[in-house]
Order: sequence, then C-alpha cells, then structure tokens
Amino acid sequence: MAWILPIPLVAAIGALACLWLGASRWTARTLLAATALAFALSLALAGRVLSVGPVRAADGWLQADALSALVAAIVSGIALACAAYGVHYMAAVGSHERAEARWPAGRHEALLLLLLACILLSALADSLGLLWIAIEGATLASALLVGVHRRPGAVEAGWKYLLLSSVGATLALFATVALFHSAVHVFGEGPAGLRWTALRGAAGRLDPRFVKLAFLFAIAGYGATAGLAPIHSWLPDACTQAPAPVAALVSTGLLATSLAALLRFHSVAIGCVGPGWPNGLMTLFGIASMLVAVPFMLVQGEYRRLLAYSSIEHAGFVTLAVGLGSPLAVFGGLLHLVVQSLARALAFLVGGTLGRAHGSRRMDHWGGALAASPALGALLVGAGLGLAGLPPAGTFVSEWLALTGGFGGPRLGAAIVAIAAFVVVFAGLAYHWTRMALGPPRARFEDRLPAASRLPLWILLGLLLLLGAWVPAPVRALLEQAARVVLP
Amino acid sequence: MNPLPPEWLPRSNAVNLLAGAFLLSALYAAAQRRALSAVAAYRLNSVALGLIALVVAFATGSRQVALAALLIAAIKAIVLPALLARRVRRGRGAATSEPRTGVPAGMLACVALAVVGFGRARALLGPGLDILASCLPVSLAGTLVGLFVMVSRREAVMQVVGLVLVENAIFLAAVSLAYGMPLLAGIGVLLDLIVGVVLYGPFAGRIEATHGDTGTSRLTDPRG
Repeated sequence: MAWILPIPLVAAIGALACLWLGASRWTARTLLAATALAFALSLALAGRVLSVGPVRAADGWLQADALSALVAAIVSGIALACAAYGVHYMAAVGSHERAEARWPAGRHEALLLLLLACILLSALADSLGLLWIAIEGATLASALLVGVHRRPGAVEAGWKYLLLSSVGATLALFATVALFHSAVHVFGEGPAGLRWTALRGAAGRLDPRFVKLAFLFAIAGYGATAGLAPIHSWLPDACTQAPAPVAALVSTGLLATSLAALLRFHSVAIGCVGPGWPNGLMTLFGIASMLVAVPFMLVQGEYRRLLAYSSIEHAGFVTLAVGLGSPLAVFGGLLHLVVQSLARALAFLVGGTLGRAHGSRRMDHWGGALAASPALGALLVGAGLGLAGLPPAGTFVSEWLALTGGFGGPRLGAAIVAIAAFVVVFAGLAYHWTRMALGPPRARFEDRLPAASRLPLWILLGLLLLLGAWVPAPVRALLEQAARVVLP
Repeated sequence: MNPLPPEWLPRSNAVNLLAGAFLLSALYAAAQRRALSAVAAYRLNSVALGLIALVVAFATGSRQVALAALLIAAIKAIVLPALLARRVRRGRGAATSEPRTGVPAGMLACVALAVVGFGRARALLGPGLDILASCLPVSLAGTLVGLFVMVSRREAVMQVVGLVLVENAIFLAAVSLAYGMPLLAGIGVLLDLIVGVVLYGPFAGRIEATHGDTGTSRLTDPRG
C-alpha cells in the first residue's frame, strides 16, 4: 500500500500547492521538489517490485508489476529533467509571451504536475476503468497546456488535439467496455471484471469475439494518445505549440503510458486468442506508423515537428517490436521505450535552448551550433545520435536487439521494412543535423539560458550513452520482468 | 446477478424501435445545414439513448442502470444541447454550414456508412436475438456517421456535434454490453461534461477571439 499510492499523490498535492502559491518564488521549487520526490518513490517502487514481485494497493484499484514500475520510473525521471530545465526556460520566456498566455501565475506548473499525476496514475492502475480515466485526464491537462498561448497556431493545435484525443478516448472506452463484457460470464457484473490482473489470469476463458473487438478498439484508441497512425496528426501541432518542457513530457510520458496500456490489452488478447492475430495487428500499426512518419522527417523544416514525427516513428517501432513476438524482440522493444524517451526529451530540451538562442524554430535559421556553443552543440549531436539509432547511443542497442529477435520470428518481412525505414530516417536526420551542428555560427546567436539549465540535459545524455554501452543489472532485471508481463 | 437479459426482452420491440429512432436522428443531424437543427437532432438522439438505457434498467431490474439512464437524460439531452445552442446563438460566425461534399452526397455517404456498419456488426455477432444484437449494429453505424460529420464540416460547433454523436453511439454499445456496470456509465457522462463544459467553451471562445468566427476552415490547412 505504502509503495504505490504516494507516487501519483505527491504530484497531485504538488499541483494543488502550486495553484495555491501562485506567483510566489516557491512555486518553481514546489514543482521541482514534487517531481524529484515522485522520481525517488518510483525508483523505490522499482526496487520493491524487483525484490518481492508485483505489489497491490488501494483495495485492488492500483497494482505495480515490472512494466508499471518501469513506466513510472521513466516518466517521473523525464518529468524531473523537464522541471529542472523548465525553471530556467520559463524564467527566460519573454514577458509578452507570459502576458499572451493570460494565465494566473502558478497555473502552468499546476497543470504540468496534474499531467504527471495522471500519467503516473495510469501507469499504476489495475482497474481498466481507472486507467481510462487517468489517460483521459492526462490528455485534457495537456490539451490545456498546448493551447496556452493565444496565437492562432496554438489555438488550432489545442482544438485539433482536443477533438482527436476525444475520439481516441471514446474508442478506448468502448475497448474497455467490450473487454468487460467478454468476462461477464466469468466474473459476473461486479468491478472485478475490470481488473487487469483478474482478466489476464482468466484470459483463456474470455469470449474471444469481444476480446478481439476490444483489442481492435484499444489499438486505435490508446494508439491515438500514443501517436500511432492513423490518429497521429495532432502530435506535430501539439509539440510545436506547447512550451518545450511540456512538449518533451507529452511526447515521452503520454506515449509511454499509452503504449503500456495498449500492451496490457495485448497481453490479455494473446492469452485469449493466441499470439497470431494480436501480433499481426501490432505489426501492421507499427509499420504503418513508421512509414507515415518517415517522409515527413525528410522534408521537415521545423525542428519540433521533426521531433514529433520522430516520436511517431519510435512509437511505431516499439509497437512493431512487440508484434514481432519473440522474447528478445519484446525485451528490445521495452528497452527502446526507455532509451528513445531519453533521446527525445534531450532533443526537445536542447531544441528549446537553441530555438531561443536563434530566435526561430525553423532549422534553416539554425547553424553552426558546435562552433557557437560547444556544449549545446555536443548535446544536439548526442540527441541526433539517439534519434537516429546510431552507436554509441542506447537506441542502437535496443533497435538491434529488437530486430535480431524479429529475424528469428515469423515476421521477417516486417523487420526488413523497419530496417529500410531506419536507413531513410538516418539519411534525413544526418542531413538536418549536419546543417544545424556544423558550419559557421549564425550572427544572431545568443544563448540566454544559464549554464545550470544544461545540467539535466547532460544527465539525460549520460544515461542515453550509458545504456548504449552497458545495461546495469537491476535495469536489465526490470526489463526482463516487464517483458514477461507483456509476453506471458 | 444474471448476466443474460430476461426472456421477455428479445421479444420486445421497444429496444428495436428506439434503436431505429437513435440511428435516424443521427442521420438527421448529419443532413442539417443549420447548426441549431443539428443540435436539436442531437437532443433527440440523446433522448433515444436515455430511453434505451431505461428499458435496459427495467429489464435487469437494476437501480444503478436506472440512475445512469437518468444521468444520460439530464446531461446529454438537456445540459449539453442547451450549452451548444447557446454557443451557436451567441457566436458571431455563420449559423449554417454544409458538408464539404454537399448535403445530398453527404447523406448518401452516411447511409452507405450505416449499411457498412450494420453489415460488419452482424458478421461479428451472427444472428443473435438479444438486446446486444439490436444495439451493436446501430452503435457501429452511429459511430461512422458521427465521424463523417466530424471530418466533413468546417464549423467548430458541427465538429463538436459529430463528436458527441460518436460518443452517444459508443455509449449505446456500452449500455447494451455492460448493463450493470454503472462505473462505466458514470465516466462516460463525466467525459461529456468535461469536453462540453470545461474545454469546448473556452476553446470556441479562443477560436472566435483569434480568427473572428468559429469556422475552423483556417485551422485545417494541410501541413507536413
């Protein structure tokens, strides 16, 4: 009990405190303290799960297995980095932009913490109803954050996000209802039929027609919040218009927890109808998302839109890796979920600094980052390596593991298509990154953020490179256990 | 509790009749040029949904489902339509809109979608007789029609009408699949409230403030 409940609670209480503190200088410190505490508690939970196995809490509404602990640790860690960076970033945001938002002081921090609380709650929920509520809450909080500025682009992004995520949410609700219905003859009509652990334990006795229907709607519904094709088009707008730390948290945290929710439906479906049909569908959605994203990454002019399409591509790859079906591929897919989050959060945050320094979001206005500021240049190059999946970044290892697992399995063709997509992505990223990082610095370059704002970025880069060289034993054990949750 | 519906229910025509009214009102909403008429059609749609939930409540003898039915009636048939109608009247934008395809072609598309929805659901369920067999095909057809309204209209209000039509259709499936699961009914209504009251209001206001009207045509430039 004491292990799980405090994690989302800390963030929720922090949100209320920020709202209450308002313009006080303690607001930023509260944000930092709440995210740091949530991260520490998530690490403690991961340790607990490793030593004694899955933990349950709150009368069976919450549970933590290795997959939940993994997602909670990634999300709260990235949130901590975003908060530590955001303190400097938001302070440097011009006063006219703050006036444009027309928000009372403290509301931004409160919404950020509310978003974190919802994501953590969804990662730790056992009841599928609670999971749905939490993810819906997270999308609503982030829709408000996306539409924070009152310029036409931000309003458009918020509107699009709101409509598409509502469609995704209704589809996911239907998936939840259908799964519940498939178990009515086993559990009766009480709330036990919504518990994921109970459903998975009884997967073999569920009604396969409705399990299939539920999985189909879940992959479309939760896929929408994860950024999978075909409901992905909100992501590029949202990532462009939200403040950089928010974009980083939405495109990593919401993605991770939505994919985890999808994986939970997937494991019930596998237990009920066997691996063939669900894995085929995962492969299809994964490949489709990668193929949809790749052309836009080649021709993209705006840095953050490029990252958003990269997010779609990576979400597609994790889905594909799980669909490939072998234990090694699933392990690689989960490792990829971790390392690509590090890489993209780093890319968003360093992009925030560079965007301010150049006074533009367009990549053709950027140039010579390495010459202008070696530290920022190195961080940018590190992020590029991570996004492209090149050694020594951790994404190389995860992609390699997942694809090796795929070559032993029945879906060789899908693995080959994925490799082809990676090659094209590499070409596109190499083109953009050489133009941004190399060459003479731009005349207008002026880094307005203090050096302390780069500390969380160095830590993200360090972790990204570390996981490329060596996966520490506890992390590996956690990933292996999480892979067994996904693939019983 | 017995998960299967009582014996009289399959023979009852009430659910079939109401499901028909549900689908017709969705199609009627899709055919409207005036936003206010579409909102009125949505109100009928919600009334049909609430009555179906009430029939289910009588059939299963569940007070909780009856409560959910009343909630549906109150929120979906009274509060939300009133909010939408007020927004239309107060808005500076045009109160009429047409599908991008024009009304006749749009209607044909909707009917085709309804037929497809029916066909797929029948293929899934087989020839059943229970309440599910009469509601799930209607639900699938209603979902497709609502989605069509969402993608074919430029007015913000009409896009929201499409969204709430989709929600009603999914909700119909939820009521017929999970009768006796008030939690799900509750959170569905909650979603409606949040989208309709908390978020839609401020956003529509912002679209007006930044673009001069609630038309979203300038919000939909295709971009990479």
